[in-house]
Amino acid sequence: MNAFQVLVLALLALLTLFTVRGVFRGQMRKRIAVFWTLVWGGSAGVLIWPDSTVRVARLLGIGRGADLLLYCSVLAMLVGFFYVYIRFRRMDRQLTLLVRELAIRNPSLPPPSGAER
Amino acid sequence: MRAPETAGDGGRAEAIAAEVVQVPAALRDGTYVVIAAYNEARMIGQVVRELVAAFPHVIVVDDGSSDATGPEACAGGAIVLTHMINRGQGASLQTGITYAVSQGAQYVVTFDADGQHRPSDVPTLLAPIAAGEVDICLGSRFLGHEHEIPPARRMVLRAAVLFTWLTSGMRLTDAHNGLRAFSHRAAAKLDMRLDRMAHASEIVDQVRATDLPYKEIPVSIRYTEYSLAKGQRSGAAFRIAFDYLIGKVTR
Repeated sequence: MNAFQVLVLALLALLTLFTVRGVFRGQMRKRIAVFWTLVWGGSAGVLIWPDSTVRVARLLGIGRGADLLLYCSVLAMLVGFFYVYIRFRRMDRQLTLLVRELAIRNPSLPPPSGAER
Repeated sequence: MRAPETAGDGGRAEAIAAEVVQVPAALRDGTYVVIAAYNEARMIGQVVRELVAAFPHVIVVDDGSSDATGPEACAGGAIVLTHMINRGQGASLQTGITYAVSQGAQYVVTFDADGQHRPSDVPTLLAPIAAGEVDICLGSRFLGHEHEIPPARRMVLRAAVLFTWLTSGMRLTDAHNGLRAFSHRAAAKLDMRLDRMAHASEIVDQVRATDLPYKEIPVSIRYTEYSLAKGQRSGAAFRIAFDYLIGKVTR
């Protein structure tokens, strides 16, 4: 096992720990915690047995294991960006509703002299 | 050397000739004119004063301006609603319309802050609604006297008309005119979600969705150096179109 594997494995172990702690502290929903634990576990598996990706890649008709990982990560990033974008739009909308509510609650009325002219 | 075009910043923008508009009392009191304004301190007071003379209920939504837009509008005689942060023209108009409806407005008119519309066109827009003929009147600069529209602007506006036709199926002559009038029930149905400039296309969609009768009315536009400078750059059209299409997909 080389130094890179050891380092990243340690990091993944730490992330798993944080995930589990998050569930116990009630900061993370179980379903989401399971998802992330699977991601960390999968990464660890690939890290320990790098050749396993080659088999999966072959199965899908992709030449190298590294290519498979690259494609997967690009795809995951796209999905992630889209998700964040949708979230951003929703927040933007909520912000507008908040600003609108505040504006409507505090109208500045014109001085009485300004109305009649 | 040319003479300086703007002498300092103290003076107002080009003076627009004040118009005296005669309006029947029933229209006068039931009408709320909504203006969205962002950094329009130079013109807004004058625009409001001119309107208030004919319609006492003028609502200016100050969209997080960093200048004195709010105080100027208030001094001019408008009710000012303040967006604490800038949310865009669509958001501002919706704020004003929501407020107007809550105040029991019988008619709601949207009007631009930069002095490009004529207050005398407002009664023309209201007449078919007051007569019960339609619920929505949209101003069109192309139905009227087409003079004075700069060629570049005309091309962009024509493209906007085509875009609106393709996306909403409504064949208007001028899709992006800020002067519009709504009956109470039409205004109450408006729910604009596109905060920025794409609301102009969105409004058209909603007009169609309300299934209420509408009509285009010729209006004239005063293109001044000020209003052209404040207006959208032609290049922004693509961003607006993108904003609108994304909004259609991710509602």
